[in-house]
Amino acid sequence: MTKKKTAAAKKMSKPSSHGHAHGQGNCVDLLRQLSAYIDDELPSAICREIRRHLGACPNCEVFIASLQHTVTLCRYRPAPQLTSVERVNMRRAILDAANAR
Amino acid sequence: MRTPAPKTPPQQPAMQEPDEFDRLYRDHVDLIYRYAHRLCGESESAKDLVQETFLNAYQGLKDFRGEARVSTWLYTIASRACIRMRRKRKGEPDHELSLEEFVPTSEGEFRLQIPIDGLSPEEALQNKELRQALDQAIEKLPQKYRIALVLRDMEGLSAKEVGTIMGLNERAVKSRLHRARLFVRRELSARGITHHDDHKSGGLRS
Repeated sequence: MTKKKTAAAKKMSKPSSHGHAHGQGNCVDLLRQLSAYIDDELPSAICREIRRHLGACPNCEVFIASLQHTVTLCRYRPAPQLTSVERVNMRRAILDAANAR
Repeated sequence: MRTPAPKTPPQQPAMQEPDEFDRLYRDHVDLIYRYAHRLCGESESAKDLVQETFLNAYQGLKDFRGEARVSTWLYTIASRACIRMRRKRKGEPDHELSLEEFVPTSEGEFRLQIPIDGLSPEEALQNKELRQALDQAIEKLPQKYRIALVLRDMEGLSAKEVGTIMGLNERAVKSRLHRARLFVRRELSARGITHHDDHKSGGLRS
């Protein structure tokens, strides 16, 4: 597991070979780890490698920012609430259905 | 045929643990409705799902041993009920999302084509078009990915709790969650939302 991450980080530390040809192996390696990076679940050495990579790759930096924005929007998306009448009606419907079964 | 219960008034059907069920319902109906609405995307289906969830909970209450938190137990029942109900309605199997399909192929795909720079998330979400785009993206997710995203990123559960609910290990949860996020990100990046200032005018115009 750690070996795999280290290998991915090594690949990412070579921006010259990366060249922003997204769709090739290096960028898929980066892509694979972005949620773990956002969720702060990666070892600090891997995070440093990713930050170095992002500093050299504006497109990847924009991509990870857009993923972070997506997660933030999901977190803050409010959900509607039931009215007290709906709560009472549903409770009655549930008990009626339970009794009928 | 219904068994008569002479000692119980008609409005109070015979129950194993009426007080216990009422407490369960009172304490968790708002939580489960919020979850159901996020999964279903609209009120009527969400109410159906809430009813199905609490009906199943009512019937399983006597067997609930408290090994999991009550909310985890209810999330599990709701998630399974949602899968059953949706399968009945749509009949389409979930398709898998591969990482490779989320690799951007053109410059425009890297950033979100939505106006959120300089806004707090609350301000950004006052834009009705953005809310709709987000909801539609989540609605389009294959179900098993949507459940992972809603539980983790919207309900705020830990990957471990999501794993308990979905019957997966943490690694599988994180893999699904990651693909779900990439899917929603791609959907949002494909939208050309241009209304920057809906929040200033009440945010209700589309």
